[in-house]
Amino acid sequence: MSHQYQAIGWNRQKRFYDWTVIAGVFIYVGLFVGLSAFLFPYATAETMIIRAAGSAAFLLLHVVLCIGPLCRLDSRFLPLLYNRRHLGVVTFLLGAFHGVFGIIQFHSLGDTDPLVSLLTSNQNFQSLPDFPFQQLGFLALLILFLMAATSHDFWLRNLTPPVWKSLHMLVYVAYALLIGHVTLGVLQSETSPVLVIATALGLATVLGLHVAAARQERKVDTTKPTTVPSGFVDACAVANIPEKCAAVCSVNGERVAVFKYDGKISAISNVCRHQNGPLGEGKIIDGCVTCPWHGYQYLPDTGASPPPFTEKVSTFQTKIVNGRVWIHQKPNPPGTRIEPSQIPGSEVHA
Amino acid sequence: MIQPLRKTHRAIFLVLAILLPALFLSGIAFRHSWPGIKPKQVPAARARR
Repeated sequence: MSHQYQAIGWNRQKRFYDWTVIAGVFIYVGLFVGLSAFLFPYATAETMIIRAAGSAAFLLLHVVLCIGPLCRLDSRFLPLLYNRRHLGVVTFLLGAFHGVFGIIQFHSLGDTDPLVSLLTSNQNFQSLPDFPFQQLGFLALLILFLMAATSHDFWLRNLTPPVWKSLHMLVYVAYALLIGHVTLGVLQSETSPVLVIATALGLATVLGLHVAAARQERKVDTTKPTTVPSGFVDACAVANIPEKCAAVCSVNGERVAVFKYDGKISAISNVCRHQNGPLGEGKIIDGCVTCPWHGYQYLPDTGASPPPFTEKVSTFQTKIVNGRVWIHQKPNPPGTRIEPSQIPGSEVHA
Repeated sequence: MIQPLRKTHRAIFLVLAILLPALFLSGIAFRHSWPGIKPKQVPAARARR
């Protein structure tokens, strides 16, 4: 969390994360090139490097796409989410390496401009086995570039989180294009079943995890709370909220995080202003609700970040009746202080 | 994630869950060469006859 521009706010975890990724990429590329040289001694070094970078980018994109649903299904994967954007940038760099070397090797030796050659040399759009798969890869690379270029918090703030998030959902279009690029490209000439099976497994994993996470999320959204005429809805039992943690409930289709701390109850929007992270899955640390994704903090009674930070989320009026928390359906403007509800009999803890 | 984005996300994955396996399977089905099947080789002895 930062109130001034920083290229990257380095910390120990970020360094460890990035070094692990870089080491992983080098080990993968080394193993790929070594094994290829052993199994295919007639393949040129350029071909091996192009394939190593391309397959590493494709594999890393699968990892990136699996992190989100894995975190929804099991919070133990949350540390992977912390620097997911760095993984995305590495994916783009590997893809760009694959693309640039591919263009140099296959399109730069004629008298046509390499990019023109890439886009026009194959126009068999009606034939599946001869489909111009390189154009699909080029389009995917453009999308990955757009995402890598806007991955910094600077763009997140300027574009606003909903626009930024919508823009970054283009990753699914890029993934679809890359499945086409691989299936209609390398898998057309590859006689070994290993690549076909690996691609099928990757696709099944990504789709399966997203469908499983969506089913789990849907349960929260479709639960209809009891409403009374005064506008309050029955959210949850006080006893079901762990101390300094939250219960998440759905009110008018939007999620609200109900926090219990120091014998009090406060309710705020579940959506972090930074990257729409789930505040209700975070904890109260040093008196502040702390987002589990990137550590953005908010005071539970006001929904405002402690000074000098300026982020604010909506707050909700609460009351406790017969051991259950009731929340008013109407959110208050972000940053509005709402007196926390005192849990009966908890004064000794306060 | 906020509600409209969650709905968009769900819709995207519904489409992808149908589209991508279809693309992958048809790409494999119509390929020039099949995995694991090597072209038949005529034994040298028989070829000489």
